[in-house]
Amino acid sequence: MGIKGFIETSFLDWPGKICAVLFLPYCNLRCPYCHNHELVLHPDRFSDFPWDTIQQRLEVLRNWLDGVCITGGEPTLHSDLPELLDRIHGLGLAVKLDTNGTHPEMLEFLISQKLVDYLAMDIKGPLDQKSYGRSAGVRISIPEIKKSMEFILSGRVAGEFRTTVVPEWHTAPVLAQMALELKEAPKWTHQAFNPAQPLDPALRVERGHGFERAANKANGS
Amino acid sequence: MGTIVELHQDPKVSEVKETTDLALFVRTSNEDLVTWNRQRIVDALVRETLVDFDTAEAISKEVEEFIFSTKISMVTAPLIRELVDSKLIERGLEKARIMHTRLGVPLYDVDQMIVHPNKENANVPHGPEATNLTLAEGIKKEYALLSVFSSQVGDAHMRGDFHLHDLGFIDRPYCSGQSLEYIKRFGLNLPNALSMAKPAKHPEVLLAHMVKFAAALQSHFAGAIGWDAVNLFFAPYLEGLSDREIKQLAQMMIFEFSQQAVARGGQAIFTDINLYWEVPRHFEKVPAIGPGGKYTGKTYLDYLPLAQKFVWLLFDVFKEGDGAGRPFFFPKPLVHITEKFFQTPNHQEFLNHICEVAALKGNTYFVFDRGQTAKISECCRLSFKLEAQDLLDAHEPWRMRYCALQNVTINFPRLAYQAEGNDTTLFAKLAESVELAVEAHLQKNAFILKLLSLGERGPLSLLTMDRDGSPYLRLQRATYLIGMVGLNELVQYHTGEELHESQKAIKFGLKVIAYMKLLTDRFSQKYGMRFVLEQTPAESTAYRFAKLDLQKYPEQAGKVIKGDKAQGEVYYTNSTLFNISAQMNPVDRVRYEGLFHPLIEAGALTHIWIGESRPDKESLANFIIKTFKLTKNDQIAFSPEFTTCRACGQTSRGLMEKCPYCGSAEVDGITRITGYFTKISSWNKGKIGELRDRYRNTPYFSMREAVSPGVEEPT
Amino acid sequence: MTLFTKADCQKCHYIKDHFNLPSLGIQEEILGEDNAEALAHLAWHELIETAQKELPILILDDNTAVVGAIPIKKYLSHQNGN
Repeated sequence: MGIKGFIETSFLDWPGKICAVLFLPYCNLRCPYCHNHELVLHPDRFSDFPWDTIQQRLEVLRNWLDGVCITGGEPTLHSDLPELLDRIHGLGLAVKLDTNGTHPEMLEFLISQKLVDYLAMDIKGPLDQKSYGRSAGVRISIPEIKKSMEFILSGRVAGEFRTTVVPEWHTAPVLAQMALELKEAPKWTHQAFNPAQPLDPALRVERGHGFERAANKANGS
Repeated sequence: MGTIVELHQDPKVSEVKETTDLALFVRTSNEDLVTWNRQRIVDALVRETLVDFDTAEAISKEVEEFIFSTKISMVTAPLIRELVDSKLIERGLEKARIMHTRLGVPLYDVDQMIVHPNKENANVPHGPEATNLTLAEGIKKEYALLSVFSSQVGDAHMRGDFHLHDLGFIDRPYCSGQSLEYIKRFGLNLPNALSMAKPAKHPEVLLAHMVKFAAALQSHFAGAIGWDAVNLFFAPYLEGLSDREIKQLAQMMIFEFSQQAVARGGQAIFTDINLYWEVPRHFEKVPAIGPGGKYTGKTYLDYLPLAQKFVWLLFDVFKEGDGAGRPFFFPKPLVHITEKFFQTPNHQEFLNHICEVAALKGNTYFVFDRGQTAKISECCRLSFKLEAQDLLDAHEPWRMRYCALQNVTINFPRLAYQAEGNDTTLFAKLAESVELAVEAHLQKNAFILKLLSLGERGPLSLLTMDRDGSPYLRLQRATYLIGMVGLNELVQYHTGEELHESQKAIKFGLKVIAYMKLLTDRFSQKYGMRFVLEQTPAESTAYRFAKLDLQKYPEQAGKVIKGDKAQGEVYYTNSTLFNISAQMNPVDRVRYEGLFHPLIEAGALTHIWIGESRPDKESLANFIIKTFKLTKNDQIAFSPEFTTCRACGQTSRGLMEKCPYCGSAEVDGITRITGYFTKISSWNKGKIGELRDRYRNTPYFSMREAVSPGVEEPT
Repeated sequence: MTLFTKADCQKCHYIKDHFNLPSLGIQEEILGEDNAEALAHLAWHELIETAQKELPILILDDNTAVVGAIPIKKYLSHQNGN
């Protein structure tokens, strides 16, 4: 696994915290609105950050950092993910993992080994084959997704669910349906879809008028 | 001065053919006409200069002869004066010529001023009052350079070796800081005022007194007017009021100061309000003054809940913004983060609240007062530690009145050009500059002393009024500011690396500032005055120095100057700031810029430009706490950007060419220029250049567009 | 290692009298009105305010600071193995 991106201090990825962010390559989904698709489709275009460099910077910044957010791509695709998380814990830093929840067995392992302190799982749409598949761009096993959700719903690990809201798909009734399915969730965050460079060019919107309005609508304001 | 002399061809007189066939009418400032009298030239020369009577006589005759020999039909007083001056030059009487100089403005310039806006200070709007201000400033500036300062000091300013700030306000000190206690105790009883008001009995009246006193102070000081612990000192007037009524007062206070663009020169009063979540230790046991100027029988510690409620509601108002959702430009809220802040209940909720305002509107200034040292923030960033005498004064807080007399900013990059890489020369040049800056302070001090000595009948009567055993302006407590522009370019030219590029460069920068600090300490001892370093805001100075150096040192300046040379949008990096465009993460910027702050006693600030991002308030609060605990940084502010639409009145985040709501191109950008928010259309070219370069920290604060490359640690 | 001292500081002299600084690899920096280098060095270590309250200060090789004569004495004695 190569680490393809490194942000030293993010004020964004872990609410209330200052964290470093590591980007891992590849993903098993093809969400049309994905804004990191370069990392998903062409990770070879990015050179790897050597771990030593990252470790040195994390050590320098350790007093400032509350943890490290592992994102991607889809981090759970990498069989050596546990080692990476262990190394981060070794530096005295907490771990937040972003996942799409398609690999519950990897999550089970990480959680049982206490390698994850906070889990943020994407919920792409209502939990039916058709809606979910459209948002994810590939066929999805809903039972696997539900298994992953259970880690957070049961309280085995602290965490939250996140949904990227695409105004055309996530209409008010759809969001209402999702809210019902997530009513036990400790937290459900909406992210405005960023239409600048999506994977599917059809979804692209020039920054400006439409976007602001869409985003405002999506935020329910 | 102020007389206009006109020469008319008078038909009746020409028929008489007396000694002259011209009748000379002198139009005086009283707008009447008197006839030509050569003696006036003689009188003026004898009165205004040191030339002897015979020379004056001779000159007046030569001038008269010349005027009569010409066939021009009208002569003006300035022309006569210039003719006299040319005779003084012919005789080599240089000093007399300077003393006899007429100060004024060419017709063309006045026309330009009336028609076009002033871009030297973005806080000056465009209008008749602004034109008056600019014209008056122009004349007083010339007066200052010719008459207040020595030619050595004046020339250094003209050359751009250093910059004497606010020369147009030569007859006023620089800035003032006080608390509400003065007007709470003494009411509004100003010299030369038409009426006298007893201490306020109602909160609305106290607010009215505050606003009027601020306006009176603005007309006696060049720059900012700061108020200490506003929420605490207002609290005794809030007893028994509902939350709604207190919110109303908070709103009134902010709108009053943000809409004061009707005062001096059409300028808003540059107002700082210092705010505390706790009761500062030195005010805890102080008896509180309430309605009618009477002691309430309680101490300020008893008013903590009301003071907290008021400051919370003030920030509610800042969060909402003005009627169009724009951030308020003034007053600037400075929140003091102290050890005691963290021991005060609900500080986390309050910190989140003011961080939300910082993220949404940018207003909040976070001022860090570490250790047990009490500090007071006054005008601009000027702050200082309270000494034993101040802590005594704190028992009677109306005594706590402070001012800075003047601000002189040294052109740092030029020192490096002159030193040509030689350390010894560089430090010797710096020493010369600081010495000359001290000289400038001594000269302004002597001038202000002269005005103050005229007492209550003099021009600064407001500052001499004595209500408590000492004059309002406590000159013995004044500070004299010495600032710097372009440490980054000095270091870059001298060492080959900018501050953010290596630890070696930072260490060299620290040495320069440390050297300067030791020099000012020595001069303070020598003169018994307080010379202190300040990070000059240098709104126009950073541009002026850059322009002058491109002319005088084109080769050297060309290598380090920032901005767009082709567009003329050039600037030097302000004070000890790091390169505005450097992609440093905010933690490093706050930490490394903060290394300089303890050396800069009169206040320093790190800007974090956040563009259109809306960072999470809790993460910002987290950052503030760590900045307090892990760094020596003095003060930080987050600066968002806005676009406001003149067509539909909507305000949106980010700088855009068109309004995202209605598509109109009639938009104006708003963001922080130096220490305050303004519309970008009023900025000078240098600042526009800087705005283009500002690194907006997008990967750290904003929605992510793609994978971000890491940032290398300066090594 | 670096030891920050001042000319008129008794506690600083105490440390200097008790230890042979050069033999311990300690460089002395004397703060004073002519020594910008030392003041800049102090600023780099974020110790200006500390130094106003207490001197001497010993900076270790890992950039941590030991403040005050007694802690410095303890540290150096420990290093010396006595």
